[in-house]
Amino acid sequence: MIRLDGLGARAGSFHLRDVSVEIARGTWAIVLGAAGAGKTTLLETVAGVRAASAGRVMLRGEDVTRLSPERRGTAIVYQRGYLFPHLTVDENLHYGARDGAYVASLAARFGADVLRDRPVRSLSGGESQVVALVRALAPRGDILLLDEPFAALDPRGRTRVRRELQALQREQGLTVLQVTHDFAEAGTLGDLALLMDGGRLVQSGTPTELFRRPATSTAAEFLGAENIYAGTVRRDVQGDAEGPDALTFSAGPLTLAAIGRVAPGPAHAVIRGEDVALSRDAQAHASARNVFAASVVEVVVSGVVARVTLDVQGVPLVATVTTAAAHALALEAGATVFASIKATAIHLC
Amino acid sequence: MTAAARHARAGHRVAVAAAAGGAMVLLVLLLVPVLLLVARGGATGLRQLGSDAELASSLLLTSACATAATLLMVTLGTPLAWVLARSESRVAGGLSALLELPLLIPHPVAGIALLLAFGRASPAGSALAAAGLSIVGSPLGIGLAMLFVAGPLYLSAAREAISRVDRRYEQVARTLGDSPSRAAWRVTRPLAGRGLLAAAVVMWARAVSEFGAIVILTYNPKVASVLSYDRFTAYGLDAALPVAAVLVLLALVPMLVLRSLRALPLLDGVERS
Repeated sequence: MIRLDGLGARAGSFHLRDVSVEIARGTWAIVLGAAGAGKTTLLETVAGVRAASAGRVMLRGEDVTRLSPERRGTAIVYQRGYLFPHLTVDENLHYGARDGAYVASLAARFGADVLRDRPVRSLSGGESQVVALVRALAPRGDILLLDEPFAALDPRGRTRVRRELQALQREQGLTVLQVTHDFAEAGTLGDLALLMDGGRLVQSGTPTELFRRPATSTAAEFLGAENIYAGTVRRDVQGDAEGPDALTFSAGPLTLAAIGRVAPGPAHAVIRGEDVALSRDAQAHASARNVFAASVVEVVVSGVVARVTLDVQGVPLVATVTTAAAHALALEAGATVFASIKATAIHLC
Repeated sequence: MTAAARHARAGHRVAVAAAAGGAMVLLVLLLVPVLLLVARGGATGLRQLGSDAELASSLLLTSACATAATLLMVTLGTPLAWVLARSESRVAGGLSALLELPLLIPHPVAGIALLLAFGRASPAGSALAAAGLSIVGSPLGIGLAMLFVAGPLYLSAAREAISRVDRRYEQVARTLGDSPSRAAWRVTRPLAGRGLLAAAVVMWARAVSEFGAIVILTYNPKVASVLSYDRFTAYGLDAALPVAAVLVLLALVPMLVLRSLRALPLLDGVERS
């Protein structure tokens, strides 16, 4: 288990500030954030290779804030691998290990066994990452800190290494804290997602919560929400003690019915492209509260998905639909369609 | 070709010619005196080694003292260089600057400072005398002078060599169970190996050629530089030439050794990784 209480650290002029989170044993936590958000600094502070300037790091219920890295039982894998170039691959694999047979089994499991006789400098970036991962797992620590560990792997290798690591994590109850820029990876692997911005933890929750209900418009933008509008919220109907309120969000000519727990006043509305349904018939959206006539501005097809940019009363709205649906609706620039958005799909923050 | 292109090409030719001219001037200034010295005195000096006992013993003394000073500096200075390279504190930055101070002092002044600090009149000198040691007129003084004037070169270069090794190698080693000193020994030392070796060689070569500080502390027994000066003042240029030329050849030896070591795969480009 990893618990961080008001954790702070410095890396040159960068400051990690007031990070508090609890990651249960056996959890795979994903750290997201733009470059310079503090993701690597967070990992290094948990590993102890960077000193905490404030707060506490608790591992397995023990305060390890002042404990040296070699006594924390964590292993870190950087994107570059940092294999020791003066040692052989085999020596790298055994560097921190006590059980040679276990190293051999891990190497075979992750496909690093065929690299054992290769000089470190002859390895590709992906091969280096695999060796670095096995080297980190070899000492049998129960906390694994991964800084974009699959970034250099080819798609096939990435799938294999992810699958094996996920299986190993479940078998051994490893707690994993992984930095990634790959949202698909975050959704596939993560039990918990942490969003960092400017050295602070701005939101944590399941990956679905994070993507569907970002805490701020900046978070929504980083997480790839296609439609973010600045406007004002009005409360129409007060909900009960636990339920949401019925709200109206206005941004220029755009008025949206929404539900949520947001104080009236300035706010942002976040709508994901996949939550915008399109049709040629206004009656097709009987239960949707928000139905707009729109003209198609642009259709960009990317494989099986099409990104459709619409003009709704002068306001741009992006919908993502399947390419098949785009063809079925004969979507092309200038076409008139009806766009509908359920009130429940509008996230106000 | 357009006028602008012709103009640019002419400008490039002028820049290349200026660089080549500058290089020639530097070559003449830096290499010609040394080559002349070796050409005129080298063969005689090497022949004299067999018959001139004073020259042979001065070279031996010079080499021994420079080696001892270098070994002492490598032993004591490498851990210090590691601390200075890895520390982010201002104190370490200030200490680095202070330790380079001897490089800025004129060498005879360095000798006077050493005499003041470790001469018989000083507390340290008294303590040394009580132990039967003296820095005046002894190999100890020669070694001390060499350490003082050449040691900072090692410290500075070793610190640079260690700084070039990405600290994340050490950090990874730490998470794999190494203590700081064990990570430095197992990872940083081999990765900085070539730089450390180069730093030691430069220090040794500088120590071998030291004159100003040594002559204040220990005129006798004579190291090669003092012997060369002594023969020049007593007998003139022709008598000093063989000694001076052999001293130059001696300083060349480690440089050639370093060049040949660089060809070894173990040391080739490790720091770049």
